[in-house]
Amino acid sequence: MSATALEARGSSERLLNPWVRRGFGIAALASLVALAIVGLAVAPPDAVQGDAQRIMYVHVPAAWLAYLAFGVTSVSSTLYLWPRTRALVWDRIAGASAELGVVFTSLTLVLGSLWGRPVWGVWWAWDARLVTTAVLFFLYLGYLALRRIPAAVDVRAKRCAIAALIAFVDVPIVHFSVTWWRTLHQQATVFNPKLDAEIHGSMALALWLGVLAFTLLYVYLLDLRYRLEVLDEDRDERELETAIADRVRGAGVPTAPGAVGVSS
Amino acid sequence: MSDAGFVIAGWVVTAVALLGYWLSVAWRTRRSERTRP
Repeated sequence: MSATALEARGSSERLLNPWVRRGFGIAALASLVALAIVGLAVAPPDAVQGDAQRIMYVHVPAAWLAYLAFGVTSVSSTLYLWPRTRALVWDRIAGASAELGVVFTSLTLVLGSLWGRPVWGVWWAWDARLVTTAVLFFLYLGYLALRRIPAAVDVRAKRCAIAALIAFVDVPIVHFSVTWWRTLHQQATVFNPKLDAEIHGSMALALWLGVLAFTLLYVYLLDLRYRLEVLDEDRDERELETAIADRVRGAGVPTAPGAVGVSS
Repeated sequence: MSDAGFVIAGWVVTAVALLGYWLSVAWRTRRSERTRP
């Protein structure tokens, strides 16, 4: 389906206006540079962990962005499943956001391992927070695999939406794992049970800069990834039409021109 | 490896992962555009 045809059926290839997208990209880049300066040079080393704690300024924002990305996937999936709001745009946002969530989750796991080695003395521990995060990673990897199984667009969208909602159950389990079980992983610094942030000054500034930078980058990448979702859907439709046309020709079924893919 | 080594490794991994993902999306988009009639 051509870009004009997509627009004709009310489906845009983009979520954002090109200028807005560019603005998000530039703002993300600028805030990432600011994060590197504040996180690596301005913020003081931690009193207990020393310089190793500086990994927190990328590890924690990556984890929060994974929650956000999977949250967006769940909301979009719900909107797709709800008959009144059902539209392919929600399925595409869900798929695009889930892939970003997997990127941020894998980053969280790798950065956690790099932080754990100097602080805990191990790369990995069978700790509740670590295990539930790894489960989250594999659940959404499964979701992405499910999206690649060939099927009619609406059938795929519906089953993926259900899978996304099931996978999201793990997100609150990951967040509350440090409260529910005695774990090696430290308690939440900001969203703790008392909701009293235990981080201040330039350390807090670095953390919030990290959250801002990753959020801006998430919005920018979501728009790029959304367009790829539209293009892939378009290609799948074309391939399906070609396959049906080939089968009809092979079976020698007489068809009227332009009748390919239309069931009677 | 010293603490500073782990910190540098962590920040480099972050930069490579995010840049790599951005490039992968750009590359896949270009490939899909090329197959478009």
